[in-house]
Amino acid sequence: MEINVQGYKRVTIVTVTGRVDSVTYSEFENALQAELEQGKVNIALDFSGVEFISSAGLRVLVNARKTVKNAGGRIVIAQPSQQVSETLEIAGLEVLFEQFPDRETAIAAF
Amino acid sequence: MVKKYMKINGHIDQIERIGRFIQEAAKEAGFDEMESYACELAVSEACENIILHGYGDDSTGEIEVSVQTEPDKLTIELWDDAPPFDPANSPIKFDPSIDDPPIGGLGLVIMHKVMDEMEYHRREGRNQLRMRRSRKPPA
Repeated sequence: MEINVQGYKRVTIVTVTGRVDSVTYSEFENALQAELEQGKVNIALDFSGVEFISSAGLRVLVNARKTVKNAGGRIVIAQPSQQVSETLEIAGLEVLFEQFPDRETAIAAF
Repeated sequence: MVKKYMKINGHIDQIERIGRFIQEAAKEAGFDEMESYACELAVSEACENIILHGYGDDSTGEIEVSVQTEPDKLTIELWDDAPPFDPANSPIKFDPSIDDPPIGGLGLVIMHKVMDEMEYHRREGRNQLRMRRSRKPPA
């Protein structure tokens, strides 16, 4: 898994590629936590390169959503890969995460 | 009918191997890319439960997997030596309609949603979990 963070004026883009599973989830969790601790509570996740996401990754998403929501921010998903969309739907979590077809529309949403 | 078999050490970094094994078998059964992915996901969740909750700190545990491929049908069996746990009949405490869902048990939600049938037996001091899925017609 690789994680890349880019800060914009109103939103932080976190790009994740590879597998988000029980082996890698803590790295993803730590990256998000580092942004939240700096008060970056508007986050767009670029998931176009995610090949696999398990419940371990979903738990990080749900927890992060709760934290940003309590802080008045929001977390959205830009360009979900088919695997991400499929997993969210199987787990019944697609309603919790707004999804955008590309990074530009996700950024414009903030 | 083709039956394949593999065994892994009970370490979470081995789950990816089982996932690939399942995904290949699903494709051989005629499942499309996303159905094969869903099967990989469900079996990975089952293995994660066995390793993290079943074996816990016991690093000597193993998981045996067999997968039976028939046209449009996949039957997967997992065997482990962890304490008894029945994922087939465990209550699923998850309500996606609420805004702040509790996140324990998500793996079970995924397994039950993907598989058509799940059957659990405790045999000779081991857990046996059998999961079946048939290919779904395209939406």
